[in-house]
Amino acid sequence: MKWHLSPGRNRDGDGRNIDESLGVLAGEGAHQDVRETAGKGARPVPEPKERAESTADRDSYYGLPMLKEPVWKWPIPTYFYVGGLAGASAALGMAAGRFGGPELRPLCERTRIIAAGGAVASSALLIWDLGRPSRFLNMMRVFRPTSPMNVGTWLLGAFGGFSTIAALLRQKRTGLLGPIGDAAAFAAGVAGIPLAGYTGVLLSNTSVPLWQGARTTLPPLFMASAVTSAASALDLCTLPPAAQRAVRRYGIAGKIAEIAIARMLEREAGVVPRVIAPLHEGVSGSLWKAAKICVVASLAAGVLRQRRLAGWLGTVGSLALRFAMVKAGTASTLDPRASFEQQRARLGAAEVTGPAPELEQGTAVPAPERVLVPAGA
Amino acid sequence: MSKKGFFTDTTLCIGCKACEVACKQWNQLPDDGFKFTGLSYDNSEHLGSSTWRHVAFVERPMALGMQVSGAGNFSWLMMSDVCKHCARAGCLESCPTGALVRTEYDSVYVQPDVCNGCGYCVSACPFGVIDRREDDGRAWKCTLCYDRLKADMTPACAKHCPTASIQFGDLVELRVRAQQRVEELHRRGTTEAYLYGADQPGTEGLNAFFLLVDKPEAYNLPPDPVVPTRKVRRSWVSLAGAAVAMAALAVAAVTGV
Ligand code: SF4
Repeated sequence: MKWHLSPGRNRDGDGRNIDESLGVLAGEGAHQDVRETAGKGARPVPEPKERAESTADRDSYYGLPMLKEPVWKWPIPTYFYVGGLAGASAALGMAAGRFGGPELRPLCERTRIIAAGGAVASSALLIWDLGRPSRFLNMMRVFRPTSPMNVGTWLLGAFGGFSTIAALLRQKRTGLLGPIGDAAAFAAGVAGIPLAGYTGVLLSNTSVPLWQGARTTLPPLFMASAVTSAASALDLCTLPPAAQRAVRRYGIAGKIAEIAIARMLEREAGVVPRVIAPLHEGVSGSLWKAAKICVVASLAAGVLRQRRLAGWLGTVGSLALRFAMVKAGTASTLDPRASFEQQRARLGAAEVTGPAPELEQGTAVPAPERVLVPAGA
Repeated sequence: MSKKGFFTDTTLCIGCKACEVACKQWNQLPDDGFKFTGLSYDNSEHLGSSTWRHVAFVERPMALGMQVSGAGNFSWLMMSDVCKHCARAGCLESCPTGALVRTEYDSVYVQPDVCNGCGYCVSACPFGVIDRREDDGRAWKCTLCYDRLKADMTPACAKHCPTASIQFGDLVELRVRAQQRVEELHRRGTTEAYLYGADQPGTEGLNAFFLLVDKPEAYNLPPDPVVPTRKVRRSWVSLAGAAVAMAALAVAAVTGV
């Protein structure tokens, strides 16, 4: 067993078993960096929701997941919250700067700081979650409209630039710099609105049954929740009464929209019960319920003019909503039958291509009696 | 350059896993840890970042057409699974860096020197093929042996398949051959044989397609897969509507009307 003793990269055994004194590492997979041996570097198959001992039922392959679990960890749902918060703050700041009087100037300044801070935090969270963080700029080597993640990166880049300028110039009212700051704040608001919701499109543009099944309502839900987040964060700041009133109106409308759209989402994705199941059970189900309760409570507190309470409840609710959505999507990915049932219910390709002839005529689905010929028959 | 692909005829597969081994060896991929799953003879379980061919073992406690083995009261459906090199690929269309490209052979290729490991392709693939290797940080999958094609060689798995269950070639010709095979099987009584993916509407075809004798689900394949991009227009429209509403809301909030 010469390769055990060979020098170089494989001395400790990286699972390739190539003696580099005899062979060259030049294959298509040769550059895979192996730091964890014994197969631990590659992601294992997660324990299936319903493992099947045999394949006799024909409805799944031992219950193993058909799709791969999303790789995203906590920074991504956190980013969904922070990015939404920043975008919706910038939108309110834009409106206050353009249509509000001088009494709303403190609100403008506050939103500019939140927007710029949120943009910086968003970038940090996104880079943190990359497999190769040092290559984050590769996101901007192409423009690919079919990739909401690519579109979002450009959007976040523009938003970050505008909101930073606006924040730096927030106290300049006159001279040359004042109008520049105001224009930057306006541009940040324009970019901030789609920034608050594109993450919903990003999730919808996947094979994850729940996210794909909720693709109409997910972007508006995230936007409404972003309004809640922004209003809640501003409720936790010290503001003059005029600004408080604007924030209160913004928050109440956002929360009502959020509650209504959450219901619509449950209806949209609930056509196939298995697809929506993770929003009703397990950790993701509890988070989803907590998010809805917090938003309703925050709405009540806002109506009763309890600013701080409304702020805290709204913040917790918005965060819980993002984590619930990501966790529930992951759970629906790991249930192969969720995809299978969704597609059998004509909600796969059939939705855009018309019913597949195989699905209609059953040629792709041989009737059991045609396939299963008992022995001796 | 003509379009190349695989035709995997599962009725010929004997489950020897020569394709899995040949793929690992040629591409110099690290091992999976040699675990024992107890799921028939399947110990690799799925395609992954370092497993680019995977043989599925479907067991049936009855005699099926041509798949009877051993004592005659038991059948194995074996399928060597691989990246489908979709004509419209979810992984490629979602890739934000342009690391995923389509090659001159019409295959889908990840450039390891560009990929930054965002993981979007992992969730966009409708077949659960591509995966990120956590210690490496990048996404990996079958390359259709791009290096071998460049040297005018057959991909390692097809080269090593001892029963011609995996066939490599020009797609046009493969499709004809596959159709003839289905007809032949039907003539011989295996009427359940059909092609999966030769003409998949949701992905506008798969460059690696299969001949199956059971429901796709039995092999862990989706019955009606779709490239997510084809369905997402509705999300963008709904985003646009919500954007108008949000702008109006912000103005209303500051003006008080
Ligand atoms: S099967 Fe998945 S990884 Fe392969 S080309 Fe299609 S979308 Fe990409």
